[in-house]
Amino acid sequence: MTLRLELRAAPEVPVEADCITPDRLRQLPIAEIERLPVFYGNRQVPLAEVFTVSGAPGETIQLRGDMSRVKHIGATMSCGQIHIDGHAGAHLGAEMLGGTIVVSGNAGDWVGPEMRGGRIVIRGSAGHLAGSAYRGAAVGMTGGEIIIHGAARNEAGHGMRGGLIAIGGSCGDFAGVNMLAGTVTIFGAAGIRTGAGMKRGTIIAMQPLEVLPTFAYACEYRPSFLPLYLLHLRRLGLPVTDGQLSASYRRWCGDAVELNRGEILSPSI
Amino acid sequence: MSENLRVVENATCTFCGCVCDDMILTVDDTQKRIVKAKNACVLGRAWFAEHTIEEAPAALMEGKPATIDAAVAEAARILVEARFPIAYGLSDTTCEAQRQAVAIMDMVRGNIDTTTSVCHGPSGIAFQGVGESTMTLGEVKNRADLVIYWGGNPAESHPRHFGRYAVTAKGMFTPNGKKDRTVVVIDVRRTPSVPAANIFVQLKPGKDFELLWALRVRVKGRPIHADIEEITGVPPATIEDLVQRMKGCRYGVLFFGMGLTMTRGRHFNSGALLALATDLNEFTHFVAKPVRGHGNVTGADNVMSWQTGYPFGVNFSRGYPRFNPGEFTTVDTLARGDADAAMIIASDPASNFPREATAHLRRIPVISLDPKATLTSGLARVAFRTATYGINTGGTVYRMDDVPITMRKAFDSPFPDDESILKAIREKVRELLLARTPHGARSAFELPLTA
Ligand code: SF4
Repeated sequence: MTLRLELRAAPEVPVEADCITPDRLRQLPIAEIERLPVFYGNRQVPLAEVFTVSGAPGETIQLRGDMSRVKHIGATMSCGQIHIDGHAGAHLGAEMLGGTIVVSGNAGDWVGPEMRGGRIVIRGSAGHLAGSAYRGAAVGMTGGEIIIHGAARNEAGHGMRGGLIAIGGSCGDFAGVNMLAGTVTIFGAAGIRTGAGMKRGTIIAMQPLEVLPTFAYACEYRPSFLPLYLLHLRRLGLPVTDGQLSASYRRWCGDAVELNRGEILSPSI
Repeated sequence: MSENLRVVENATCTFCGCVCDDMILTVDDTQKRIVKAKNACVLGRAWFAEHTIEEAPAALMEGKPATIDAAVAEAARILVEARFPIAYGLSDTTCEAQRQAVAIMDMVRGNIDTTTSVCHGPSGIAFQGVGESTMTLGEVKNRADLVIYWGGNPAESHPRHFGRYAVTAKGMFTPNGKKDRTVVVIDVRRTPSVPAANIFVQLKPGKDFELLWALRVRVKGRPIHADIEEITGVPPATIEDLVQRMKGCRYGVLFFGMGLTMTRGRHFNSGALLALATDLNEFTHFVAKPVRGHGNVTGADNVMSWQTGYPFGVNFSRGYPRFNPGEFTTVDTLARGDADAAMIIASDPASNFPREATAHLRRIPVISLDPKATLTSGLARVAFRTATYGINTGGTVYRMDDVPITMRKAFDSPFPDDESILKAIREKVRELLLARTPHGARSAFELPLTA
């Protein structure tokens, strides 16, 4: 049972459609879904003014069109699936609790901010602050997975306290800044100041990176959890090489301005 | 020169964030200009000397002279019809006018942002994330024995900062002025502020965060695990010396400028500096303060915070205020093409914003309020010419340390002030929204309950 929503035309101003979650839509008749309010800029309009609605309401929602201006899709969802055929706007899966979101194109800023569970897969690239805390909050995502096949921009995993972020391409500055726990894996080049202010947690950087002077080199070893994580990521389609599975990793701990219990791992080549 | 001279005492200069309120102005009422500004610095003297009243229409619509009433009606119509109206600027006007602008954007469910977002906005984010150990400049004058300027050049941007507050100023516990203080300048280049300092620390460009982090870790007594001189250009001995001075002073202050907030790392740079000040409070009294630029940009932060709960980058489109720099800051709402109408108050984004942002400004209807003709007023559909605050209007401005100062006007202007124009727009907006609200609906924005 799949509900199909197709964008009528690219919106001229941002649309906020936080009602698009399986939780909200799966038991409603189509006529009622069409009347649900979404914000078109500052005005509420019925959902049918922005999307054509077809198919059968159920666990899966299929969205089509360039939704780079449609924000808050899948916010707070706890079950079911959302498939986006195209780009997604900001705040995708914000504070999500469970279920799956898959985007075939790129996603905007704030992918899965403060998410608690579930999985978000972005086949293209994501904007700034994936899996982060909102401004003013100290804690970002606490559970679930954000899988970005392309690149991510600054502050991925800001204040993260659990869960997994994997970035297939490069990422911007301050990845894992102020992290409290959880794992960030970066397959491409990382920007500067990775892990600044981290208290605990693990950042795995597959390419050589610049480590802050407040991180101390500890040792080179083969962490036993790492192949398990990497095999999981390989199954999800990330570019894990055999070399990365068998390599030994250099470990830095930090950040010494904070608790100093975080770690950055990077394969020694 | 005419004989019609008059002296205005205790006037206020609003050119920079020092907001000096000890100006003695000599006004020539015939020529409508200020002939002398005693106590002003070179920037202040220029600000007063260049102020003249030009012959110009008070309102333009599509570039043609219009009555103020017609222009107000058109401005209100633009704002009410827009689905993502934005207001921007606000740093060079009075708090009273800022307040009206917030009210209007609240009513039309728009987006309001100030020039803070392009200067110390990152510090605003950092205050929220890290906290702020703060003070007033009077405290600095009376108590500070260690003054550090980081990434700023007050000798050129705030010429009286040294003399009135922080370097040569004599105070209760600093009776000998500069002799009782150690002044440190930390910057990437040797600026004209350096001669005022006892110690100059030159660091490599873009390495502020690394140096701040190194200072923090040394203040905590932990080791640095890298060649810090190689990274930042500052030798370990200098870092140790700074740390000893910071821990050992009686009252330390860190002033920081846009060299910190507008370079790579932005809010994390200010955040690192604020965190350093916080860390130092374990040992002594230490405070930090951004050195704010435009006259009343601090007032804009204060009015916005007091009315909406947030200092800048606030959006009302859902009917309540939301704060999200990056999403609701003006450079972003314009560059992404989100905004469909703009009201620019006392600012000229068309001349200093990135190209994509100004290109969008040309595509949408713009309302501008400015005492002079600017690029922005040139492209505006509705342009008001208003009286210059502090010279032709009274009202309230905030000094960079959040101290409100009441201004006294020097002489009258033929143009109305920002506040009265904005009040008129607000009234018109209210009428239009009431007329649009459907029967049974909660507002002009929500769907009727029966839908
Ligand atoms: S320091 Fe600033 S406020 Fe004071 S006179 Fe100079 S320009 Fe004006």
